[in-house]
Amino acid sequence: MTDTAATPVIELRNIHKSYGDLEVIKGVDLTAHKGDVIALIGSSGSGKSTLLRCVNLLETAQQGDIVIGGEPVTWDRDDANRQPKDADQVRRFRTNLSMVFQQFNLWSHLSVLQNVIEAPVTVLGREKAEATKLGQALLDKVGIGDKADMYPSQLSGGQQQRAAIARALAMEPSAMLFDEPTSALDPETEAEVVTVIRDLAAEGRTMLLVTHDMKMARDVANHVIFLHQGVIEEQGTPDEVFNQTKSTRLQQFLSSTH
Amino acid sequence: MFEICADPRSLEGLTWLSCYLTTPKHSAMYFSILTVLGMLLAVVPPILMLGFAGALARRSKIAPIRWFGLGYTSIVRGVPDIVFFLFFPIALDQAVEYIRHKIKCSDVLEPIYQGNDFVVCQAAKMPLGTSDQFYHEAWGFSLAVITFAIVFGAFTANTLHGALNAVPKGQLETARAFGMSERQTFWRVHMPQMWVYALPGLSNLWMILIKATPLLFLLGVKDIVYWAKELGSMKTQVYAYAHPDWRVWYFLALLVFYLFLTWISQRVFDRIFARASRGMAVAT
Repeated sequence: MTDTAATPVIELRNIHKSYGDLEVIKGVDLTAHKGDVIALIGSSGSGKSTLLRCVNLLETAQQGDIVIGGEPVTWDRDDANRQPKDADQVRRFRTNLSMVFQQFNLWSHLSVLQNVIEAPVTVLGREKAEATKLGQALLDKVGIGDKADMYPSQLSGGQQQRAAIARALAMEPSAMLFDEPTSALDPETEAEVVTVIRDLAAEGRTMLLVTHDMKMARDVANHVIFLHQGVIEEQGTPDEVFNQTKSTRLQQFLSSTH
Repeated sequence: MFEICADPRSLEGLTWLSCYLTTPKHSAMYFSILTVLGMLLAVVPPILMLGFAGALARRSKIAPIRWFGLGYTSIVRGVPDIVFFLFFPIALDQAVEYIRHKIKCSDVLEPIYQGNDFVVCQAAKMPLGTSDQFYHEAWGFSLAVITFAIVFGAFTANTLHGALNAVPKGQLETARAFGMSERQTFWRVHMPQMWVYALPGLSNLWMILIKATPLLFLLGVKDIVYWAKELGSMKTQVYAYAHPDWRVWYFLALLVFYLFLTWISQRVFDRIFARASRGMAVAT
């Protein structure tokens, strides 16, 4: 990882998460510095999406520390029923960690451009004219500037996901969280989205990327984490993880995905 | 009304009819159309208010508020409308007079319930016995509006409750993931998306409300159905304008009136629905 002296953008320490008796994350550590692109891979049910959702507090980790930009999440109590204590802090962290969902989740009652400027205007309090200018520029950047006034349902999956990426970028976040951004796409439109994500990585954006797409993980990430049944089974550079695989589980996983 | 109408017995044909249709009694019938339309308009804001209050109460995190919301919708929806229309105005009227009696006539020692009679002092009457006829009618009208609002508010609450639940969870979660507060999530995403699921149910309720307006008669408000029956029935020579049993024609006119009202309503709802469903993945 680069620039270890600086404060990490995202730091997770000993994260545990259970649903009832089912423990899905069993003590995970993760550090993302500025410019890191960390790919989280693993089979379904390995806990990778849950871990991502714990980062922006859509899920509550029962144990462990979540530190965003050097500031730890404060909790209301110290047991398994804990909840984030400070709603303002939660909202502040979320605006700083914008998320891209597997199912795009563009707001269906708003046009594409309205989707992009909605949170900057209502949450960050940006001027509408200024946000619109930035929003249009971001839509141009992801290649769907001509679709600004259409509704999400009128767009293809790949176009919707690119709009969702533009929406996430409009928050000018310190890190972006991708939750299987290409899993709901057909192979043709998938390539459009992968290209956009690769460009963002090349710009030096900090990203956590949950994915089933090993090729994208290999191309885009500078660090790959393999999760198995809620623990980190193996991690390292793409070269280490994909070409010099140590654990048999990861070998099995990789051979099953090819 | 007109000069020529002074002696109805001398009139014939269209002249007779034009004079007949402008008698004071007929004016009362035309006015009752306004009463019906006015009631429909007056009742919408309280219905929506009660509907939203009921729907939000049922979603409350606080259990007693939730039970209250569920109780309200379940009780009103479970009781026949007519029973409610008979019960509620009397109950409300007596409740108000009871309270006024306790406040204004605390020196009166006789009990309010004397055997089968409900007796309050003159000062507690609602409206006062000395009041203008207008106040009596306005009071009756208000009771009608409140009763309609309570009954239809419960159905509206149920429709809105269902519509709020129908908005995909992912849409709301995304709003939170972008830092919106619960309030912003509700007003910016939940409410705007809710309408498309609520409108079919709400348009249904509006049609039922239009068709329920003849129940006004049960509440002592003389509506157009009352007047159609009254004016249409046979008039003997005792009346200035004697005529045979014309009720079928009066009711036919009512039929056209109600069809027109519901047809216009449907067109308006179609427009609102088209607007609310822009971008929403529903069949239009």
